[in-house]
Amino acid sequence: MSYAFFPGCSLEGTAWDFLKSTKAVARKLGIKMPEIEDWICCGATAAHQSDPLLSLALPAKNLLAAEGNTVAVCCAACYSRLKTANHEISSDKLVRKRVAEVIGADYDGQTPVAHFLEILINEFGLAKIAEAVSKPLKGLKVVSYYGCLLSRPPEVVKFDDPENPMLMDRVLKAAGAEVIDWPHKTECCGAGYGITDVAIVKQLSREILGMAKAAGADAIATACPLCQLNLDLRQGAIEEASGEQFDLPVFYFTQLLGLALGIERKSLGLRSMIVSPKELLDSRGIGL
Amino acid sequence: MTDPTNSPERQRLSVPAKQFQDFSSEVEERSHAGFMACLQCKKCTSGCPVAGRADFKAHELVRLIQLGQRDQVLKSRMIWECTSCQTCATRCPQGVSIAAMNDTLRLMSREAELAYEKTTVPVFNDIFLRSIRRRGRVYELGLMAAYKFRTLRLFEDVDKAPMMLIKRKLRLLPKTVPGRAERKRLFARARKAGVRS
Repeated sequence: MSYAFFPGCSLEGTAWDFLKSTKAVARKLGIKMPEIEDWICCGATAAHQSDPLLSLALPAKNLLAAEGNTVAVCCAACYSRLKTANHEISSDKLVRKRVAEVIGADYDGQTPVAHFLEILINEFGLAKIAEAVSKPLKGLKVVSYYGCLLSRPPEVVKFDDPENPMLMDRVLKAAGAEVIDWPHKTECCGAGYGITDVAIVKQLSREILGMAKAAGADAIATACPLCQLNLDLRQGAIEEASGEQFDLPVFYFTQLLGLALGIERKSLGLRSMIVSPKELLDSRGIGL
Repeated sequence: MTDPTNSPERQRLSVPAKQFQDFSSEVEERSHAGFMACLQCKKCTSGCPVAGRADFKAHELVRLIQLGQRDQVLKSRMIWECTSCQTCATRCPQGVSIAAMNDTLRLMSREAELAYEKTTVPVFNDIFLRSIRRRGRVYELGLMAAYKFRTLRLFEDVDKAPMMLIKRKLRLLPKTVPGRAERKRLFARARKAGVRS
């Protein structure tokens, strides 16, 4: 299995642990994901809020560079932008023409884009994942947090049920964790306002952390660099302001799957987590 | 007897007619949001994460656009507090793309120089895009420094920086992808042309 990997800017910085754990898991499972050479930023929220044509042109340039291979993505925001570009370019000839004029090449909007969760379930297969698990995450109660951009809007991303996605739940269950159902799977954490409007992030993230705690979770699993950063980095300040105690380590799903596959903690970037998972993992006898 | 064609009520209704048609058709032409189909069911607002703090809630914004209330809409705080989470568009029974509509409103509000004065989102977006144009990728440490400098929010959140450095979450040196001249041209061409117009 081979894919053209689009890591995205966050995975080179704040989410380096997402990159490290994804690579470790892919290597372990024999999934080949060489990076697209000289990829550039997808434009993220800044582009679609400021320049609609640029917000399609930047993803299109990267998708062309994948030379027809399925593009593998981890960041939910990149995933959303790449999928949106494909949707708009393939469904409107005028948009396709405009994008071609900007990037200097015709792109048909047909290069497939797959999130790493989709690759694991739809292409690698749950049965094979379960087979590869050597250290099941026994006794670890976890909630899957998908955030906004993986499953919305459904007609564009076609990821999973937009109100009750299950892909991450199924991967973590295959990894041996006790996955708890909860109502905040796709609530928004405040996303990109982490710098410009922190009050929004703190309010929304507090609701998510509170619900995870109330559901009885030991930890939260995420698939988006901004979700992880907001829930982890802001957790202390939110606790201080509200007087609540969450103590919820916020993992990337790839870190949890990696532990179940027998990969060492240090090869999964766990030391980057601000709410330390050490005590929790030690108490459950998970990971070395 | 007063002339019914010249009553204050009549004037209120008739004067902005052309203006409101112009405004709402411009929003529709640029966003393709389909907001005339809105039934005011408020499903968008019920699921909106920032509805509780909004000056105009999502369904109110839609109604104001239908009624051509250009200045109220373009000055709204809500268009800069919307997190683009797309819950509204996902749940709308009439298929109104409220998130796309908000993107268009942000553009129009900046063009008309009516953007809510306290928002720093436009500054952030400009710095973000400049980083892509220059380097091809976003350099987070440089982005944050430039943002703090431009907005003079020098000390807000600086307590987070040491932790992020310890956790290696901030890369100290930027990466630059080759092809800066070509990127500059790409950005210029995108700015000049509209998506559909």
